[in-house]
Amino acid sequence: MDPHNETNPTDRRSSWVMNFNTIFGVGFVVVSIVLFLIIPDQIAKPKIVFANSGNDLDASFFPQLVAGGFGILGVWLFFRSFSIDEVNEVRLIDWEAFTNIAVTLLAMAVFIPLLTRVGFVISGALVIAFLSTFFGNRNYLLTAVVNITVPVAIFYIFTKLLATYLPPFPIDTILTRLFIL
Amino acid sequence: MWESFIEGFGMAMRLDTFAIMSVGLLLGMFVGALPGFTTVMAMAILLPLSFFLEPLIGIPFLLGVYKGGIYGGSIPAILVSMPGTGAAVATTFDGPALTKKGKARKALEMALFSSVFGDLSSDIVTILFIGPIAIVALMIGPPELAAVLFLALIVIAATSSGVFVKGLLMMVLGLFLGMIGQDPIGALSRFTFDIFPLRAGIPLLPMLIGVYALPEILFAIEKKSTGAIKQVVSSREGGRLTFQEFRESFRTICRSTVIGTGIGMVPGVGQVVAAFMGYAAAKDASKTPEEFGKGKLEGVAAAEAANNAVNGPTMVPLLTLGIPGDNITVILIGAFIAQGLRPGPQLMEEQGPLVFAILVAMVMANILFLIIGYFTIPLFAKVVMIRRSLLLPLTVVFAFAGSYVFRSSSFDLMVLVFFGAFGYLARKLSFSVTPMVMAFILGAELENSFGQTMALSQGHVLRYIFLERPITAVLLVATPFLTYLMWRRSMRLRHALEDRVASPDSLS
Repeated sequence: MDPHNETNPTDRRSSWVMNFNTIFGVGFVVVSIVLFLIIPDQIAKPKIVFANSGNDLDASFFPQLVAGGFGILGVWLFFRSFSIDEVNEVRLIDWEAFTNIAVTLLAMAVFIPLLTRVGFVISGALVIAFLSTFFGNRNYLLTAVVNITVPVAIFYIFTKLLATYLPPFPIDTILTRLFIL
Repeated sequence: MWESFIEGFGMAMRLDTFAIMSVGLLLGMFVGALPGFTTVMAMAILLPLSFFLEPLIGIPFLLGVYKGGIYGGSIPAILVSMPGTGAAVATTFDGPALTKKGKARKALEMALFSSVFGDLSSDIVTILFIGPIAIVALMIGPPELAAVLFLALIVIAATSSGVFVKGLLMMVLGLFLGMIGQDPIGALSRFTFDIFPLRAGIPLLPMLIGVYALPEILFAIEKKSTGAIKQVVSSREGGRLTFQEFRESFRTICRSTVIGTGIGMVPGVGQVVAAFMGYAAAKDASKTPEEFGKGKLEGVAAAEAANNAVNGPTMVPLLTLGIPGDNITVILIGAFIAQGLRPGPQLMEEQGPLVFAILVAMVMANILFLIIGYFTIPLFAKVVMIRRSLLLPLTVVFAFAGSYVFRSSSFDLMVLVFFGAFGYLARKLSFSVTPMVMAFILGAELENSFGQTMALSQGHVLRYIFLERPITAVLLVATPFLTYLMWRRSMRLRHALEDRVASPDSLS
């Protein structure tokens, strides 16, 4: 449908090769089949039906439409993929970029349990210290100042100003427990 | 409608609204001035703050971030030829050349004045348009709403990415993700895979922050920062902009405002295209086109007026029909939903004064923007030098805090990280996430209105639509044609943009 993304018709023969869009086309067809198979199990049945007129929309109607949509569009993408001139930029990710992204995602994954266990301020400070050093910051004095002030500021904005909850400092929890006891 | 406007005007005249808008403007300008940090990212990260404030505080705050961010992008574009946001790319054609000539201050002030003029004019046009459109919107029932939502989703899928079928697939994926949890009619659980937190569905806020903010961070850290920009030409260098210089560019500013306002009404096109089109039109109309790209104030004015004029019109479909036209308004709809407000015909009917109050706040934000921008230009010029290696981890921590506070759930943080990685890969593979997020937000409404249509039709949907609901029938028949027209128009704009970027001679 997009003339500018299509290759020159004279080059068409050479472009009839599989690319990442072809694989995605097949993948979406597979998703469609899987969805059709799991719909009966993954949609709860009403336990009691009051005065159903028979015209009400079944809870599985839209999921079936979506599953059908994945199938039809997957087939469309499969055939369309041979004339799409796009670069798979994932393959262009070099080792440095891959390492940086993997380490960042890993730090985020570690941040999740850390946040609830040691509190927002301490876990936040640890994550900032680690990531900023990893990203190349060597001004440790500045890092230390930022490590202390920013998580505390964010903590107080959310908990005091906006009256929401963030896991507090462990010392807060300990003091509260002692006070209650 | 007039009464609603008057009441809304009164509601908007609050000191705390002005104060929070000023904070939003400052934060937006700060983030916009940082090369590599986008306005969308700023809005996504700051979105949680608006959730816990009342609507007339929280939403103007985000609007301030939006307006400040778009302008803020022009600061590094002019000073160091590094656009702070995509919308400021066209500003780099003349901005840095003006800086080299010692006219940095003039360029920054021209960017400010033309931004404010473009934005203010388009906001006034928006207020004038929204009333009549809202009156029409009030007349629509469930069948028409279903047809409009369907049309909107298809159009966004068509215009938001280069390949139509990939946009459609992302839309279908968004519909699927929106189904996880409970169905909107019978509240029956769907696709929960026995995971308890999924019973409430995928949370919107972590998803928005995930797909719009985290990928920006991941893109920024692909290459480790080489440190701050060492030398920035002083923003104070050179004289101030004179009235004569502004007047000489006034025709260009007006032309770019019209272009930006027009482009703002086309879903999925946005500020980048508007800025390039505004710049190209100014060059075409100029008696001295050869001076463009060599440091012409008119070039800065053309790009900045056009990209800011997009801001207002994108609010029309959002507020009248509940349809966000681009990724910025997708984030805004998230703020409305979190406030318990559902943009659309009902909102205009039930909360008309509030809608007008928000629009009046948009207009007032421009006046604040002019004052704040004028006095803080030297300050934000220094922001360009801040180290990304320190700011990126802070953004991560703020994103986590914002995602956590909404439901105090670790599961939401997992959703955040998942959608962050997903958004990054989607962009790398040329899949646009905007149709997915829009379908995720609008899917339940579409299913609900379709369900109501089914009930109203008593089993004879086609007969009911074609005999009793002519507007729905017209909308459904027109959907393929409108989609094709919108797709062609957005493709033309994109290709014109690509051609001009590919051949800089045509621009400079």
